[in-house]
Amino acid sequence: MESRDLLRHQIIESLITHRTEKVADAAMNVWEKLATEIISVVGEEGFNSLYERSVFLAQRTFPWLAARSLSPQSDHRFAELKIRLAEQTPVQARVANILLLITFTDILTSLIGEALTTRILRSAWGSEELMAGHPNDISNKAGKEFDNE
Amino acid sequence: MNDKAPVPGREKLAAAREEAVGLREKAVDVREGRVTTRERDIRAAEMTQGTSNDQISLLRQANAQLVIATIDAHKLAEQVQTAHADLDHLVHHDVLTGLPNRILLNDRLAQAIALAHRQGKQLAVMFMDLDRFKHINDSLGHAVGDRLLQSVAHRLVGGVRHSDTVSRQGGDEFVLLLPDIEHAEDVALSAQKMLMAIARPHLIERHDLHIGVSIGISIYPDDGQDAETLIKHADIAMYHAKESGRNNYKFFEPDMNARAVQRQSIEVGLRRALERQEFVLHYQPKINLHSGTIVGVEALIRWQHPQRGLLEPAQFVSIAEDSGLILPIGRWVLREACLQARTWQDAGLPPIAVAVNTSALEFRAADFLEYVRATLDESGLEPRYLELELTESVLMRDAASADSVLHALADLGVKLAVDDFGTGYSSLSYLRQFPIDTLKIDQSFVNQITRNPDDGTLVSAVISMGKSLRQRVIAEGVETAEQAAFLLAQHCDEGQGYFFGRPVGAEALAVLLQAGVSPVFPH
Repeated sequence: MESRDLLRHQIIESLITHRTEKVADAAMNVWEKLATEIISVVGEEGFNSLYERSVFLAQRTFPWLAARSLSPQSDHRFAELKIRLAEQTPVQARVANILLLITFTDILTSLIGEALTTRILRSAWGSEELMAGHPNDISNKAGKEFDNE
Repeated sequence: MNDKAPVPGREKLAAAREEAVGLREKAVDVREGRVTTRERDIRAAEMTQGTSNDQISLLRQANAQLVIATIDAHKLAEQVQTAHADLDHLVHHDVLTGLPNRILLNDRLAQAIALAHRQGKQLAVMFMDLDRFKHINDSLGHAVGDRLLQSVAHRLVGGVRHSDTVSRQGGDEFVLLLPDIEHAEDVALSAQKMLMAIARPHLIERHDLHIGVSIGISIYPDDGQDAETLIKHADIAMYHAKESGRNNYKFFEPDMNARAVQRQSIEVGLRRALERQEFVLHYQPKINLHSGTIVGVEALIRWQHPQRGLLEPAQFVSIAEDSGLILPIGRWVLREACLQARTWQDAGLPPIAVAVNTSALEFRAADFLEYVRATLDESGLEPRYLELELTESVLMRDAASADSVLHALADLGVKLAVDDFGTGYSSLSYLRQFPIDTLKIDQSFVNQITRNPDDGTLVSAVISMGKSLRQRVIAEGVETAEQAAFLLAQHCDEGQGYFFGRPVGAEALAVLLQAGVSPVFPH
């Protein structure tokens, strides 16, 4: 379980680290895809509950992540996160976003298990995206991990 | 030819037509039937699709509720865990200072003893009690007192090793556990370090507070084999440090136990002394420095102990204060003094004021004023012949509340004096505001007035201040003619001390009153 957890964490880290666009934009892209996939399973309220809890836990490490509220409009769901990330240095923003995603997927895993979580992540982000532009061991492992599910 | 006669060809044709119509109708029926079936199929398919969408939507809603409920459960579990951790911390730590409390100290001490026992090593327990902390608490209030305790705790923690435990026992008592010590000398060094750390001024709410600490030390295994004994013996040693002048440390010695037992026996004896009427009052005259006449007396308690003879207040008052017995004892003194003053007047002696010391516990009692009034009524003594002596610390703590009680007493006609003036913390604005009649300069200044120019200057200044506040000034502890002469030269009104007369019994004082002047003054 721990090694699978670690692998999922590495996948997220790899996914975020190797994005070429601006950190805040990359974060939005990743979160929007993830949100679409998860909302189709647990609805808006379910997603919001997961996301709020993730922000609450991650803000212990990065207090500036504290969100006042989720935007009620689905197309501006992550507007506040984008503002917060854009206010930080790229390194700081990237590390915080990785932590937030890991926290989010950890909670999801605790609810529905690793296998289902991985399927959802694969649907959201796809293996191709994971493989793109970073042919290293982790991304290869990530791709395999996702393909083998 | 009959027109109505059937023609076989036509009939056939007609029948064929009818058949054709019938077939067409059937065909239409079939077509319509097919259409209906198709429509039914489409409708059914649409219904199936609709049902499926509803089910997905329902499932999604159900999932959302499950996610929300589970996360709420996580939050609740976390809150319970946090509350549990907080409660655990609260049970084992002192709220004010954050230090381990008595429970945690006992636990750590028991563990340290077990370890020292296995390894054949020593450990030390230091019992620390702040000197005159009550004074600061009483005069500057609990808020300042609490901040001072926090500051002391901070200094103590800063001066110990990581493996040591500093705990607060309650009040102004701290206990330090030093596990794993090599030599008693090391503990002495630690104690010295603590004394120095505490002695540095504590800046609290613009006050530069100076405080000392008395430390008692016990060593495992020599002074005790268990936590309770080690702490008790360190406590006893601490009392000896206090009795030896405070702000120092003492190692426990076996014969200290005997004195602790004696202290305990005094407390038990005090409880019985009131019932057995073992207390007596002696009266020390207050002399007008210009005329030499006796203008008043201070009532001073003595304990006629059945075994130990006549005991001075120094031998039992602090124990009475610690045990709360000072309240009934103080009330006995007030009643006895009023009755005696009235007896002297009834005997035709010149009326004089009798002064009674009032403890903090009595002054703060809710029924203090009522008790004074009732005692005056019972004794028949006019209020102007009763003077209550209060220390600065009693007056200055919760000055607003003190002010209202003092004014009520003054309205009653009772005289008020500030005792031991100069040894505590006084606010001059309150001194002006309070209805004080007399300032009593503490004997520690008077002792030195003819030898130490600073004390002389201080006493002169207090006399001037008293005059400008239109208060009488009386010097305590006058023991020599030089001191009396100095005070007279500084226009001090009155004096009290062995030079004028020692405290004497009521009958002996009646004789002095009959004479009217102090024996040292020419008749």
